[in-house]
Amino acid sequence: MKLNEQKFFELAKENKFESADLYIKRNYSLSTSIFHGEVDSMTEHDSLLVTARGIINGKFGSVTTEAVDKNTPNFLISSIKRTAGVIENDDPSIIFKGSEKYHKKSVFNKAVLSGNIQEKVGILLEIEQKLKAFDKRIDEVVSVGYEESMSDEKLSNSYGLKLASKVADYSYFAEVTAKEGDEVRTGFKIFASIDPNEFNIDKFVEDCANDALGKLGSVQCKSKKYPVVFTPECASILLRHLLESIDAEEVQKHTSLFEGKLNQQIVSKKLTVIEDPLQKNLFFRYFDDEGVATNKKAIIKNGVLETYLYTLQTAKIAGVEPTGNGYRNGSKASADSAFLTVKPGRKSKNELFSEIKEGILINDLQGLHSGMNSHSGNFSLPCAGFMIRDGKIAEPVALITVADNLVNMFSNIKGLSKETEMVIRTTTQCPYIYISKMAISGK
Amino acid sequence: MLSKAQGLRILQKGLLTGADYAEVFIEDKISQNIVIENGKVETSSINRTFGAGVRLLKGYQSVYGYTNEVNEKSITKLIESLSKSFNEKPCVFLDNLTKKTAKSLSKSEIPFDKVSDEEVIKYLKSGEKIMRDFDKRIVRTNASLSHQHSNIQIINSKGMMIMDEKERGRCALSCVAADNGKIETAFEGPGASAGFEFFLNKVNIKEVAHRVASNAIMMLEAKECPSGKMPVIIGNGFGGTLFHEACGHPLEASAVSKGLSVFANKIGQQIASPVVSAIDDGTIPNGWGSNNIDDEGNPTQKTLLIENGILKNYLIDDFNGRRMGLKGNGACRRQSYRFEPTSRMSNTFICNGKSTPEEIVKATKFGLYAKSLAGGSVNPVTGEFNFGCSVAYIVRDGKICEPVRGASIIGTGQDILMKIDMVANDLERAQGMCGAASGYCPVDVGQPTIRVSEMTVGGNGGEIK
Repeated sequence: MKLNEQKFFELAKENKFESADLYIKRNYSLSTSIFHGEVDSMTEHDSLLVTARGIINGKFGSVTTEAVDKNTPNFLISSIKRTAGVIENDDPSIIFKGSEKYHKKSVFNKAVLSGNIQEKVGILLEIEQKLKAFDKRIDEVVSVGYEESMSDEKLSNSYGLKLASKVADYSYFAEVTAKEGDEVRTGFKIFASIDPNEFNIDKFVEDCANDALGKLGSVQCKSKKYPVVFTPECASILLRHLLESIDAEEVQKHTSLFEGKLNQQIVSKKLTVIEDPLQKNLFFRYFDDEGVATNKKAIIKNGVLETYLYTLQTAKIAGVEPTGNGYRNGSKASADSAFLTVKPGRKSKNELFSEIKEGILINDLQGLHSGMNSHSGNFSLPCAGFMIRDGKIAEPVALITVADNLVNMFSNIKGLSKETEMVIRTTTQCPYIYISKMAISGK
Repeated sequence: MLSKAQGLRILQKGLLTGADYAEVFIEDKISQNIVIENGKVETSSINRTFGAGVRLLKGYQSVYGYTNEVNEKSITKLIESLSKSFNEKPCVFLDNLTKKTAKSLSKSEIPFDKVSDEEVIKYLKSGEKIMRDFDKRIVRTNASLSHQHSNIQIINSKGMMIMDEKERGRCALSCVAADNGKIETAFEGPGASAGFEFFLNKVNIKEVAHRVASNAIMMLEAKECPSGKMPVIIGNGFGGTLFHEACGHPLEASAVSKGLSVFANKIGQQIASPVVSAIDDGTIPNGWGSNNIDDEGNPTQKTLLIENGILKNYLIDDFNGRRMGLKGNGACRRQSYRFEPTSRMSNTFICNGKSTPEEIVKATKFGLYAKSLAGGSVNPVTGEFNFGCSVAYIVRDGKICEPVRGASIIGTGQDILMKIDMVANDLERAQGMCGAASGYCPVDVGQPTIRVSEMTVGGNGGEIK
């Protein structure tokens, strides 16, 4: 059933809402996975989520629902009235009239939605066989899976703003174990794209198998300070945590590491981070969740903080223009960044390794929800990777931790590689990052 | 919700192409959340979760789908689409459903729909103010209460049509302390399968607030934790995260049934030191992780997992149980109808031992006392786990000494369980949210104070002196 949007806006007017908006997101997906040559799961869904907000006496009320029937507009209105009625904070509540210009592009490719799951099962079986045949130490293919999905979002409000965006993507994942003697190690690989022709089975199989095989023979290194190189994935995870402090709300509430640091050098001059939501990729986004147009912009340029990230509310408080970084979380938007690119360096990763007599390449970080304190920037995280000895990759290391402070770490960048990788998990295009010294705890 | 006749017709359609099990799970849940920040109501929101999940099984194969359109026509369309995965003659015939209502293990004396927003706000503010007034270095305070009321209907080809109703509430207090560029946070979140009476009668919000504020300030002043191998004393209550990660997850049938757990095929074997016994109990009245029935409609159970170090049982759902040749033991859970259910923990804890917490500290010459943990994660295949310490102290010559911050602890479950050498008699449980394949589920972790003879501690405070 379709939501009667017009009825909602009429009721909002009747109930003297100053303004109101509706955000409707439809998600469709089809996924499957195999185990030991047979399909072991298949999932299909088509679902809807409606978020409605309204401003009454300057206060925001908010409600979400997955149930749509003829009573839904009334349920939305009464819930907004109830929730707005208790709000006490005096911060400005704003529903947006619209940006002057939107850089709308179409990234939706219908071809991604194959609808033919049997053909995909065939590809998964091929991946499973190739993983098993890759090396005799590959002991078990834990899971191989495929998913295609579509997300269709629509934002409309009582000022007449109407925005819509649609994207379809697909992904493959695989997990294997490698075994040698009593030692068992796991390897994982995920690939996602909006281009149906981009998937390369052999490269995918090789990356997944090598992730597990490379870890065999892992030892604990000695506890001390080492030069450390992070893979693009690990470097971008830490960068994302550093950037939590550029949310203007954190600054305004005095819990940011970068309060009063706008236009000042906050990290190494070697670091430049650009937000580029308009690149035609998986993460394309031409308006934010509050309806503000997005733009390409530098966040950190040669180590200097170029901007904080604003929502409508925090921009109004600071007296600046919103930056198109609003992400919804109930009635309240919080600021975050979309697709990021980190400017690469001039040296290859091997040239970076060659500068290190004894150091560590970290390719796996765990425990982020417990060992990372983004407010203070302090972290102590379990990790794994390889020793670097006399400029070359040596034995794998595991069951070690790396500890530092985010600001300190990104101030101690010694180099960035010229190679970059697209990291799905962090929506970041990132090079290898070499840090001069970090505390490692092992044996 | 569906009528008996509708349910029967839908399941019959699902069984036509050879599925040996068909199930419809319908959920209608209303949740509400109120957040107080720095003395004022910051946000309030109402959310309605509503939909149906449909599952067909054949042997070791499962197909799953879900929709928001909860009516016979839409669910039939979905189940017909899913049944196309099979292409055989029907093997299960269903001609009747028995309607039942799940027996309630938890009573709400003051259901949340009888509580005004103002009462909740007044309650939260009484705690929030304690944190704000505690110290001028506390720069941000947050107190929130969220509660949810669900109606569930499970209809399956075992002939069951079961209705369940449950209510849960959780309060969260947190604050940020800042001084001279240093920032620390602290948090506590008591909750229960109960109404507002739990918060009025069982949670002293002022005491909780005082503890949260003093922990944040103490951590602000604490030195960085040294790193290296040392004995670790782990506090009761939230310290149970260690067992949850190191042992609980690898005992779930989702990992065990495929041989992908370090504890697979080890029933009857010594997997922990003889001082360790552990239980998963989904039946504790009003427990945060308790349920009247699991998400396959089976009654929840109290399951002895480890007795004096010997592995006794796993946590099993019916589907994964097929690979193991075992029946489910009420451990099948999911976040919502959007998730295919699988084996999960409920209220999981290490049982009381014979020592006292004082004896454990006294017996430790040097080590770390991890009083409270901040959560962790595990790889069930290798058993490697990690967790962070939210409150920790150094123990020297049998005495608890200075607090340390930034400590994380790593190890493998199979190693650590054997190295638990002392277990105290002060069992407590604490509430958390556990994330895994079938989404986020409320769980209790728990244990008495225990000691692990040696663990790897990570921190930025240099080597042990």
